[in-house]
Amino acid sequence: MADAPPILKKPETIDDYQALYDALGRAYWEASDINSKDLVQGARESIYDIITDLDEAQLDANTALFLAVEPKIKQTCATLTKIQSDIDSITKNITTASKVVDAITKVLGIAAMF
Amino acid sequence: MDYCNPSTSSPVLTGHSKLNKLDKLKLRAFPIRGMRNKSKPTSRTQAAGRRPSFGFNPLALLPLVLVTGCAATSTPLARHTADFSGATSLVVDNSENAYRAAVRLHDQEQASASVAKYDTDKPWDPHTIKPLIDAKGLQARSDVLDGLKAYAQSLADVTNGVDSDQLNAAATSVGTNLQAMGQAMNPTSSAATAPSTETTASADATISATSGFITPQEANAASTAFKALGDYLVSRKIKSAVPKVIRDMDPQIDTITKLLNSDIVIIRRQSALDYEQLLTQQDMFIRKSGSALSPIERRAEIEKLPGILASKQSTDDMLADLQNCLTQLALTHHALAAAAQNSNAASLQQRIADLHAAAERLARFYFSLPTTT
Repeated sequence: MADAPPILKKPETIDDYQALYDALGRAYWEASDINSKDLVQGARESIYDIITDLDEAQLDANTALFLAVEPKIKQTCATLTKIQSDIDSITKNITTASKVVDAITKVLGIAAMF
Repeated sequence: MDYCNPSTSSPVLTGHSKLNKLDKLKLRAFPIRGMRNKSKPTSRTQAAGRRPSFGFNPLALLPLVLVTGCAATSTPLARHTADFSGATSLVVDNSENAYRAAVRLHDQEQASASVAKYDTDKPWDPHTIKPLIDAKGLQARSDVLDGLKAYAQSLADVTNGVDSDQLNAAATSVGTNLQAMGQAMNPTSSAATAPSTETTASADATISATSGFITPQEANAASTAFKALGDYLVSRKIKSAVPKVIRDMDPQIDTITKLLNSDIVIIRRQSALDYEQLLTQQDMFIRKSGSALSPIERRAEIEKLPGILASKQSTDDMLADLQNCLTQLALTHHALAAAAQNSNAASLQQRIADLHAAAERLARFYFSLPTTT
């Protein structure tokens, strides 16, 4: 005896449920009376709830992974801030050199008055 | 050959025909130095028996200009990081929009489902409504996306440290203050160095404008030297630290983009389901309403059905594009990490071009300085 079509097997993965949901969707639009549509949609909603629960669970699991990776990004940003600070200090040193020259100029100006 | 080493850079310079233009610029920039030596020394320098060394030998700038070739190698990195930052910002904004849209759509589906369930025998409790991603989950994603944006922006800011406005301003003020100091040390220099008939014959118009002990050209040379030194130091800092940061971050970027991609796969599936549910709920509403809807109302409600399907398709297309963007983001960062290492064969030609660009930049900076007091 041949195996049953995949769609009729017990779903084990989200893809299986998705295939079942899609098949029920086609059945819904092919149904000609409201009672048949109601019946199909009832079953379809159950599948929808299962897939939604699985999706939410996966998103929750991903949240834990996002939380784990966040400190690494913060650490890298802190390293870049430190490098930026070092670069700023180079500019500051040149500014200091300029200020020293300016201060000497002022002292010379005062000295010239005596 | 290490082109960051000035002693080994010369062959490259001489071999680069375009650098002749730079040489001409240098000759134009410093002709007065040699001429000035021909002018009579001031009474003060004669009395002192020596001349303060504020005047710059233009040739002394050459090694600095060459050394700044090292700064030039950070220029493509700066360009790449700026491009990367712009692209990352866009991807981050699109990802945040995708999360918001998915959560809103799921809320909409639940609201629509509650209407359908309200009059049935199935118990329905509004407390059972829950968001697709809870507040903690959204915050975690938002923090990572903001962190990714901040990382890309910081990277662009740091690598753009060379040729920064602050450094230019600081270097310019060095020359200006040196010139002021020269004038303070030699307040009578204006008269002492006033061009005589014979010097006027040999000097150009620039020297006749000289009013201080340090000419504007020498002050500009000082500013340019400080600018070159600053660029070199900043470049050295960037080259020693940034490639490692990018390299260390590369696996994290890979992880983050894969994680975001995993989320988008889920969101894509869930959004398609939510739209399908909205579609059938709308259809059931129309069919069960029967004669309660007027023909015009019924027509309007039926017309919403293809609109829901169109929204489903456009949302799916948008999320597929976002997945592609995330893949590209990881690849771009990987390329950025490789480029930062200068490990590719094409880097040699690039570095020569960058050396040329840095020298020209330095020349442009020099000529942007005022030549009169």
